[in-house]
Amino acid sequence: MDRNFCQELLGAIERADRAGAASVVDDWAVGRAFTQVVPELLSPTLESFGTLWSQGHNGVSLATGYVAAKVAEDVLSRLLRESSQDGGPILPAKGPVLLGNVEDDFHPLGRNMVAAFLRAAGWDVRDLGVDVPPTQFVDQAEATGARVIGASAMMHTTAKNVARIREEIDRRGLTGKVQLAVGGAVFKLRPELVAELGGDGTAASALDASALFERLWQRSLNLDPTPLRALP
Amino acid sequence: MNSLERLMAALQNQPADRPLLFLNAGLYGAKLTGASLKVHYRDPVVYAEGQVAILETFSPDFLISPFALAGLGEAFGSRVASSLRQPPNVAAFAAESAEAALRLPLPDVDSHPGILYLRESIRLLAGRYAGRVPVIGLLVSPLDLPPLIIGLEAWLDALLFQPEIARALLDRLTPFFGALGKAMLSDGATGLALTANLANRFIVPERVVETLGRPALKEALAEIPGPVILHHGGCPLLPHLGDFMGHPNVVGYVLDAGEDLGEARRVLGAGPLLLGNLGGPDLAGLRPDEVRVLSDQALAQRGADQQFALATCCADIPLDTPPDCIDMLTDAVCRTGRAPA
Repeated sequence: MDRNFCQELLGAIERADRAGAASVVDDWAVGRAFTQVVPELLSPTLESFGTLWSQGHNGVSLATGYVAAKVAEDVLSRLLRESSQDGGPILPAKGPVLLGNVEDDFHPLGRNMVAAFLRAAGWDVRDLGVDVPPTQFVDQAEATGARVIGASAMMHTTAKNVARIREEIDRRGLTGKVQLAVGGAVFKLRPELVAELGGDGTAASALDASALFERLWQRSLNLDPTPLRALP
Repeated sequence: MNSLERLMAALQNQPADRPLLFLNAGLYGAKLTGASLKVHYRDPVVYAEGQVAILETFSPDFLISPFALAGLGEAFGSRVASSLRQPPNVAAFAAESAEAALRLPLPDVDSHPGILYLRESIRLLAGRYAGRVPVIGLLVSPLDLPPLIIGLEAWLDALLFQPEIARALLDRLTPFFGALGKAMLSDGATGLALTANLANRFIVPERVVETLGRPALKEALAEIPGPVILHHGGCPLLPHLGDFMGHPNVVGYVLDAGEDLGEARRVLGAGPLLLGNLGGPDLAGLRPDEVRVLSDQALAQRGADQQFALATCCADIPLDTPPDCIDMLTDAVCRTGRAPA
């Protein structure tokens, strides 16, 4: 009987069984080109997991989301290793996009999970870390040509610093051209803060971030297709 | 009745003149005194002045030790960053992994400056308000200490993938937790309030809760020779309340914002205190009349419950909260009142 590898991988993630997930990936890879692991195994599995997660499915904890991100990282690391050995193409690159925790915010878990899922979806992610000042976000957007900034904040007090990134984007005349995605616990609890603080959008879970970034990237292109000014 | 009498009545399920009021207003004290947060979170005299100002302004029934848990991480060697708007945060961790944390020396609760700041704050408040206002020492359970020492991701790695190392670290941290809890009580704390997020199924899977979380929490709580209130710590508590019942010394629970107080009482039964359910950080974004409605809703639901306390939950009440909003909570418990015994 054919094995349902996506279902098996999903089961391993739900059990928070990272080693079990690696074993499923190993079994899937027998007789298959590993370059197909993302579209054929990882993406559909993460999509199913994302549905469970956003529905608040019983048994899906923050830690299982963390395991899903780790599994995605494990698969991508192997893909990069095998692709570089083969001389074949590495992941299709979208972006670049920026991620960081806003100034005064030192809670990296959510941001790291978003980074893992964005990379699994083919995004070139430039991770700026925690406690990132507004000027650094926008400097880096200009330097790299990133049309989307992802700003993470856990608490209400730090979420207010999203408004300072918005001000910096607008002050430099980059309104619309640089889109501001926001995320973190406080935006799930108080979704009205997204617009109130100047965010252009948010995602229901880390796994939904890629779809949000696609939408915002396209909106930026529609508004102004010329490349961002690169710093000298 | 004074606040301590009100609390004692609630613990014994006896009538009181009005429901209890708990404010997570450690940070807000600095707004009232005008102290810089850097000083507020280093100098116990300045912190205690903030709590005195809170008491004189809003008349809550509890005073609290600093809700500055990053300081516990600092005691193990983590680097802390101060802020202009919130309590300090851990900016760099003392160790990279649970295994590395096993080699860190345990801080001395009688000599580490950061811990003495917490303890002296309690001593000052307890000395001033003995017999009148309960003082609550704020702590984290051993399960929630590692995120302050090695970070949440490294701790999840241990809990999920290296359970024997996680267990070893919990065994190492539990005596420190017990020593600090005992010290806070001997300093005059009426009781302790603590979080146990890493025993909550919202955060970790069932197998971690069952094999590590619940057993470790139970062992840790048995070390505390006094009453403990379990705080939801930012996670929903009601769906998993059963996991936190039956532990030694636990006399109450702080629910998450908006959680169903009636359902919580149904699950708990008579006996434990029930505190909730207004999100402290939300107060900054609400108008006083909106806070009044929320307070009245909670009290309409549980006001007659002799073991209920109207409480702000989640994190601190933010600095930019209008005082009128906090007044609404005081006003609500006073208006509710109760028939005297």
